[in-house]
Amino acid sequence: MRTVLKLFVKDYTLFFRDKVALSLTFLIPVVLIFIFGKVFGGLESGIEHLQVGFINNSTAPVAQKLEKVLDSTKNFLLVKKYKDDKGNVIQYDTNVMKNHIRAGKFSSALIIPEDAFTDTSKSLKLKFFYDPKNEFEMQLVDGMLQKIIMQQIPELFQKSMMRQAETDLGKEKGSSFNSEIARTVNKYYKIDTSLILSDIPDSQNDTGRAENIFGNIVNIEKQQLVGKEIANPMATRSVGGWAMMFLLFTITGSATSLLDEKKSGVMIRILSAPVTRSHILWSKYLFNMSLGIIQLSVMFLFGFILFKIDIFSNIFNLILIVLAASSACTAFGMLLASLVKTTKQADGWGTLLILMMSAVGGAWFPVSFMPQTIQFFSKLTIVYWSVEGFLAVLWRGAGFTDIWQYLVILVGISVAINIWSVYNFKRGNVF
Amino acid sequence: MIEISNLTKRYKNIIALDGVSLEIKSGEFFGLLGPNGAGKSTLMNLLAGYIEADSGSIKFDNEVFSRDSIQLRKKIGLAPQSLALYDDVSAETNLKIFGSLYLMNKKELKNIIKEKLDTAGLYERRKDHVKTFSGGMKRRLNLIAALLHSPEVLLCDEPTVGVDPQSRNAIFDFLQKINDEENITIIYTTHYMEEAERLCKRIAIIDMGKIIAQGTKDELLNMLQYKEEIFISKNEKTIPCINSLSKTGEITEFTDKYVVKVKGDIKMSEIFKLFEESGIDYSNIDFQRPTIEELFLNLTGKRLRD
Repeated sequence: MRTVLKLFVKDYTLFFRDKVALSLTFLIPVVLIFIFGKVFGGLESGIEHLQVGFINNSTAPVAQKLEKVLDSTKNFLLVKKYKDDKGNVIQYDTNVMKNHIRAGKFSSALIIPEDAFTDTSKSLKLKFFYDPKNEFEMQLVDGMLQKIIMQQIPELFQKSMMRQAETDLGKEKGSSFNSEIARTVNKYYKIDTSLILSDIPDSQNDTGRAENIFGNIVNIEKQQLVGKEIANPMATRSVGGWAMMFLLFTITGSATSLLDEKKSGVMIRILSAPVTRSHILWSKYLFNMSLGIIQLSVMFLFGFILFKIDIFSNIFNLILIVLAASSACTAFGMLLASLVKTTKQADGWGTLLILMMSAVGGAWFPVSFMPQTIQFFSKLTIVYWSVEGFLAVLWRGAGFTDIWQYLVILVGISVAINIWSVYNFKRGNVF
Repeated sequence: MIEISNLTKRYKNIIALDGVSLEIKSGEFFGLLGPNGAGKSTLMNLLAGYIEADSGSIKFDNEVFSRDSIQLRKKIGLAPQSLALYDDVSAETNLKIFGSLYLMNKKELKNIIKEKLDTAGLYERRKDHVKTFSGGMKRRLNLIAALLHSPEVLLCDEPTVGVDPQSRNAIFDFLQKINDEENITIIYTTHYMEEAERLCKRIAIIDMGKIIAQGTKDELLNMLQYKEEIFISKNEKTIPCINSLSKTGEITEFTDKYVVKVKGDIKMSEIFKLFEESGIDYSNIDFQRPTIEELFLNLTGKRLRD
């Protein structure tokens, strides 16, 4: 038993001295639990400040009230205006709104049409335009919108119910029905009939306080603007995120081979040949970049063969995003190699950073689910911009004019990180 | 051919090399002998252009050599102390990779690889992964990988570490052969005195970043105050006579013997005469020439392998 104990203690001694093992054991799960907690905790209490396009063309009081309610809710941020090319702020109209959804500026819009609730309407008519690039997000938005409408304006349902009764019974019969009810209540409970009648809402006036909810009273006309023709929406939406995560793992592993070469002594042998440090860095960069391109190409081809992901109809733009994403991932790998001292450190930090970037950057679940502070960090990750780029190309079929900003950002990140890496390599340990 | 002047290299607070100056002639087998941490590998890294000196200079054929001297590196072959090989590929692929860095003609490289593998006795195993090789085989491969481009200078940084005596001898023979036949200048670092003595025409002894002695073996040994050590058994016959030898040199008494370090100006014939006069039987006497180890001990107060 003592021997077992000694060996047991030995394992713990070694474990606690291995910082990488420690970080993998505790830090990574803690960070991921935090992110998951924030995301799914946020979902329970409702998403916050999700941008939703909004147009209200109705003058009906109920439409005004609905707008006010939606404006005041923390779940949504209603986008009602946009800036045109000249910088003029313009109120959205339906066509521009549709185009902006198609261009990916936001994923959904609620339109209250002019005839949303006229004097004779029995239900509230709404239009909902959406881009289900994130299926889960869209279901959530849809559900929350309905919930808010139902919860916040109950009088609408009561009014609607009265109008329905009047339609079925006729206005006179409807009124005598109310009087009969009032008399019956007065007979048994001794409550003044005028008081009872005043509590029953007039179908033409806002006096109701009923709490019943009738889902069919709100008639939402839904129109999917993007992705209707896509054969496998789920796979098309998710392929970019997963591809990016695996690409980061592959390239980080490959870039940190510099450290293995240093450890084994191969680096000194290479550098004793007519080879400069720049030659080594360039060759590593090109190797990792090409490896990234090959890996992404294989993954997309695999997606095409197995899941019918359409990669060919927008192939030119897909190639551009693949190049930019590979370049940024390569830069990340090189930066990691320039900052750490051992392969073990590279493994630990690489795993932590890649999983964090994947979680925060939208590879696993929509960024819009996350709190605003985390969403800020999402935009600092390579994963976010790559996933957005892939979605634009594969999901929306975006052209060059729609994806150039993703390319600029990814290439910009790549250049900035590369400059940092070269600086580190010049003063670091690898060379 | 190689002129090292006042070379200094620091790592933070540690002075790895402190004003090292050496001159190594073309075709010479030059040894750099010193204990671990003496600065041998740092000097090799500087000679290979891997690191930059803080001060001082290295000249190859009167041309200043630095980390940026890319063309001069073609004159150098480095066999690093660690086994600088890719374990998961074959011996042949390793040599192709390293040879290709010198932009050699493919056919020429192929022929050289065949020739070198043959010389090192590894041709039959050329297709095997390096990880399946013994320590000695890896060392030989490590060595020939440095010779593919026919360098003028071969830097061997402790090439026999972890090698069995048989493989060690094979490496010695190989190095002596290329030194003799191809006239390659070899700079050989080691902390094994026997290796330096056996292989090197000239030796520099380095300790704590400084060259403390250099020259041929004889020149180095002449630096000692004595030229011979005589071991005399301690017994009833020798004890009464030992004082008669005091004028020949310093006598140290041990539990079972006396050691006489014979002064440089004393002739051996005088010593034999003294033995005969004092009646010390030759069966009680053993002679040993001092070694470089003795010189190192004498100069630094510590042993090479301390």
